[in-house]
Amino acid sequence: MNSPSLSFARLRRELFATPLDGVITLALVGFLLAVGTAFLRWMLFQAEWAVIQANTTLFAVGRYPIEEQWRLWLLTVLLAAATGLSWGLLRGKGSWPRNDQLTAAILIALAVFGSWGLKLELPIQLRWWGITALLLVVRWAAGRWSQALPAPLLRLVPLVWPVLYLVGMVLISGGLGLMRVPPGEWGGLLLTLLEASFAILLCFPLGVLLALGRRSELPLLRWGSVLYIEFIRGAPLITLLFLGQNILGFLLPGGLAPDRVWRAAWVLTFFAAAYVAEAVRSGLVALPPGQLEAARSLGLPMHQALIHVVLPQAMRVALPATVGQFITLLQDTTLLSLIGLLDLLGSARTVMANPEFLGKNAEVYLVLAVLFWCCCAALGLGSRALETRLNPLATSKA
Amino acid sequence: MTSPATAPVMIEALGVEKCYPNGFQALRGVDLTVRQGEVVVIMGPSGSGKSTFIRTFNALEDFQKGSIVVDGRPLTNDVRNIDAIRREVGMVFQQFNLFPHLTVLENLTLAPTLLRQRPKQEVEQKALELLERVGIHEQARKYPGQLSGGQQQRVAIARSLCMEPRIMLFDEPTSALDPEMVQEVLAVMQELARDGMTMVVVTHEVRFARQVASRVVLMAEGQVVEEAPPEQFFTNPQHERSRQFLSQIS
Repeated sequence: MNSPSLSFARLRRELFATPLDGVITLALVGFLLAVGTAFLRWMLFQAEWAVIQANTTLFAVGRYPIEEQWRLWLLTVLLAAATGLSWGLLRGKGSWPRNDQLTAAILIALAVFGSWGLKLELPIQLRWWGITALLLVVRWAAGRWSQALPAPLLRLVPLVWPVLYLVGMVLISGGLGLMRVPPGEWGGLLLTLLEASFAILLCFPLGVLLALGRRSELPLLRWGSVLYIEFIRGAPLITLLFLGQNILGFLLPGGLAPDRVWRAAWVLTFFAAAYVAEAVRSGLVALPPGQLEAARSLGLPMHQALIHVVLPQAMRVALPATVGQFITLLQDTTLLSLIGLLDLLGSARTVMANPEFLGKNAEVYLVLAVLFWCCCAALGLGSRALETRLNPLATSKA
Repeated sequence: MTSPATAPVMIEALGVEKCYPNGFQALRGVDLTVRQGEVVVIMGPSGSGKSTFIRTFNALEDFQKGSIVVDGRPLTNDVRNIDAIRREVGMVFQQFNLFPHLTVLENLTLAPTLLRQRPKQEVEQKALELLERVGIHEQARKYPGQLSGGQQQRVAIARSLCMEPRIMLFDEPTSALDPEMVQEVLAVMQELARDGMTMVVVTHEVRFARQVASRVVLMAEGQVVEEAPPEQFFTNPQHERSRQFLSQIS
């Protein structure tokens, strides 16, 4: 069906159906070519990538002590393995849909050309190749043998993530025999991902509780949730971040927000929770009231009806909006640079302020944009895989 | 099908009154006594309060005045008491209300495994037997969305039975079904009645009422108008309102 002549005929039908269509097509193609070549010329001949190549470590981890960076490599390896495992199990049956092939190709391209283009030292290049290979191999193996694993074991797999998070926190901040690295020394992509993942993990349960609270029959709980959600949604994040730096020290119990990094993380969490609550509420509203009635009439107490009947269905409806919120949250972390933290954007600004690299803003911002795009694309792909998986009719056609 | 007047009372409702928050009075003092093994069919025009009435038996609706005693337990606001009553009272809805994210089998086993704390395999065994009894044994691993309306309603009946209730409530179980599927659901209900289940059924199915009911209750405007054995109710109704209703549905 897809012979070249056929697709040529189709191209002609769709792009050059009338003279006007033809003119529009040619004009657009010409425009795209002009922009594309100009961009490529700039990228290959004019741009000076030394600003990136000389500062890869700063972009990646900020001022994290060099002799302790092996901990971050170890964490990256664990993350790659966990990602591969979840990815493979979500797909199951050893299948590689087109999206997955594309993702794998992008990953390989990033590992090879990315580390080559950044002029990383050979050992570090090799590490990235190894980590990418590990991710893809684990994904392949998990997809291949997912059916062979017993079901109770599979149900434990999501638990890998919170456990890994705790392990990661220890690896990053030290303790348990590892040297302490205070949060002030975390930076770059490390800090961005840390703040975002902390907020994503915690804002989700908080958002679910707020959404349930908003629909509760207890007036105090209901009005409390409404007040909270509407107050947070009515204030710009940047004001809350500044506010949080000043008052969170008093509001949260001592150890929880000892410094600026953790205060910012909590503000992001509380901020995102209000939006997640609204997404979850949309899922709750979409559910026919008969579902709760049926669960309750079987004798299930309220909490069991919520956990086993209401929330699984509401979450499926709310998932796309919730993930959209997570993506926004990831991008909102750039505001941390405005309160003086050295997140990805903050580190980039210190680099650009360095007299040695003056005027190299375009290169830096382009790399930041690509990095953020990669992280958001990963979140988006993950959520779509999860959506397909949660749709009972999609899984039952096995 | 009539049970002796000495059988224990399963449901006793006295002077039940219900007023919705918007001021509409749905029930204006309703009395009903259901004895063990009886099948009571409640009929009446829409808006007469019949659905509201049976939904008060398992506290899906609250009421302001009167009293209801179910299986010896008075209905109070005590949440634990309500949950205990709901475990003894199965309910089948007009819209089936199966859980679409669970398979047919999981729909049946969810509540018993959580509440009766019996081993999962025992519950599954029992669920499969029930599915066989309602004739959908082979669909156990499918999801509700893959079944026809009649099959879904039979699953819903089996789901209620899996909790081993002492009373079954049916709220217009065949009203949302295509005509050709009504019979398969009624057949299941008929068999259930034959096995001695205590049932309260809100329905418009005259044939079912004639064949299965111990008594027929006609409700209108939130009150019981007439209560009689089916033969008498359908051939020689005592009240003008009953005659009017019967002429409309036949």
